[in-house]
Amino acid sequence: MKRSIGATAGVFLLALSLFPSTAFPVLYIDINAPGGKRMPIAVADVVVGPGDPSLSRGIPKILSDDLALTDLFDLIPPTAHMETVTAAHFSGKPLSFPGWKMIGAEAVVIGTVETRGDRLSIEMRLYDATQGTLLLGKRYSGAPGQLRSIVHRFANEIVYTFTGVRGVFGTEIAFTARSGKSKGKELYIVGMDGQDLRKVTDNRSFNLFPRWSPDGQWLAYTSFRTGMPIVYLRNVLTGAEKEVIRFGGSKTPGGFSPDGVWLYAGVSQAGNSDIYRVRVVGGASEKIAEGWGLEVSPSPSPDGRRIAFVSDRGGSPQIYVKTIGIAGETRISDGTGYATSPSWSPAGDRIAYTARSGGRFIVTTVAPDGSGSREVASATDGDCEDPSFSPDGRSLVYTYRKKGYSALKIISSDGRRQRTLVSGLGDAGSPAWSPGR
Amino acid sequence: MKGTSFWKWAVLALSVAALVAVGCAKKQTVKAEGAPGAPGVTEPGAVSEAPVKEAPAPPVVVAPAPPPGVAATEEAKSMFDDVRFDFDKSEVKEDGRKTCRVVADYLKKNPKAKMLIEGHCDERGTAEYNIALGERRATAVMTYLVSLGVPKTALSTVSFGKEKPLDPNHDEGAWAKNRRAHFVLK
Repeated sequence: MKRSIGATAGVFLLALSLFPSTAFPVLYIDINAPGGKRMPIAVADVVVGPGDPSLSRGIPKILSDDLALTDLFDLIPPTAHMETVTAAHFSGKPLSFPGWKMIGAEAVVIGTVETRGDRLSIEMRLYDATQGTLLLGKRYSGAPGQLRSIVHRFANEIVYTFTGVRGVFGTEIAFTARSGKSKGKELYIVGMDGQDLRKVTDNRSFNLFPRWSPDGQWLAYTSFRTGMPIVYLRNVLTGAEKEVIRFGGSKTPGGFSPDGVWLYAGVSQAGNSDIYRVRVVGGASEKIAEGWGLEVSPSPSPDGRRIAFVSDRGGSPQIYVKTIGIAGETRISDGTGYATSPSWSPAGDRIAYTARSGGRFIVTTVAPDGSGSREVASATDGDCEDPSFSPDGRSLVYTYRKKGYSALKIISSDGRRQRTLVSGLGDAGSPAWSPGR
Repeated sequence: MKGTSFWKWAVLALSVAALVAVGCAKKQTVKAEGAPGAPGVTEPGAVSEAPVKEAPAPPVVVAPAPPPGVAATEEAKSMFDDVRFDFDKSEVKEDGRKTCRVVADYLKKNPKAKMLIEGHCDERGTAEYNIALGERRATAVMTYLVSLGVPKTALSTVSFGKEKPLDPNHDEGAWAKNRRAHFVLK
């Protein structure tokens, strides 16, 4: 019986894998060519059936804002569009592709939306305007409150169609900041597009080091709300919490194993922090790395076999990489100055960390073997710290700090483009990018 | 038998796929407008994930605020000076030892007293490393007090890293005050 189910899964996989070759677009964007050609794309006004007429422009705006974050597309402004898309275009009437080509579009997105009661239905299509072919068509349904998340999904599909790598729209960043005049720090979550900022905790104590579970449902974090630090797991949807680490003194959760079974953390005993991993269910713990120095900030590799972490065993904090269960650790930072807070890229190929250069903190990336070190983010007037990679490994979120001012910024991993994600909150820091959605 | 159940499953799977495909293909003309083989709304690739029906996302529930007093965010008054440290260091220097001797005398004269030693850091460097460094500072002070004859049971430590600066300014003067161990009688 088991075998039959496996065979069924095989049928599905076969059915899926037959088609990508025919679906392979003529239009393609090479994401590894810096400054390469961008795709001119038009996002037409959406046809609104029953429902809010403002969605006609609202949906294209969400989609266009997403695409504009990537540096892969040139968006043709709606004022240049000549053809009005109607319901007939979803039941057989062809688009006037020469007209779209004339305004420079190589790709055209059209959509239709209707709201019936508490059900939202959206159909979105992506056309190759040069060939007049449908590249992608999806129909979504959900609650009206899921509109943004549905449009983000389609934006991810568009990026995948043109690049072969799924987009990261709809992902979120957890971080800490002071709330109002409170001296405490609360956890916050914000969309990667800077929307939907919300406070997660509200206990006016110190709530620190948020780390996402691989399914994106939970945050591990350290809270001082009882007066002493305890690591909790918090469900980001329901607010349900459970305690995971109570033993030891200081506790700095670093990251989960990819299967979600283990939480890696620095935990101090008798003043000396070492790296542990703790079973999320059951709480059993194992020491993974230790030394006379401080060991903190474990960041697991995407295959779960190695961790990058900080140790000051050599006299100053530096980044080391260790294979779990095997003796020996390799230093991958250069051994000088001050190197902390490693973040292993989900793509596996780079580790970002905070380095010190000329009295300032900067964000650097390096290959897991210590080669190819590259400065990504720095500022002449402040510090750039605490990097966390996006799920596709193509961007980093980090903290910018200058005297009393702080902001979270997102930068492409080649350091070429950046934008401010959050500013105006007190002492914002410790950003952690959620897994893909 | 195994073969039969395989086909049963395969047929079931394909009919589910077909049903979903038919569901998506009410507007048959979608297929007609593309070039042959162009993936339409009916593309099998879409079957596996369309239509997207997410579980409704309930709003984030914000935990109720605990009673005031547990926040640990206010500086607790102390009858003893702070022990100060150099940048990224946890050695107790001579000034600090002098303070520790005063604290040790007090604790030996008041054997019922319990002392919490808070470790703190300046704002430079990352929060996690500073939490561990603050713990090491607090522990260094505790170890020195024990060496002066204070029973370990009278002492405990906690690190606030860089979260609770005594001086909120951003210069060397403030940083020097913030790299400290702070004594709190419990």
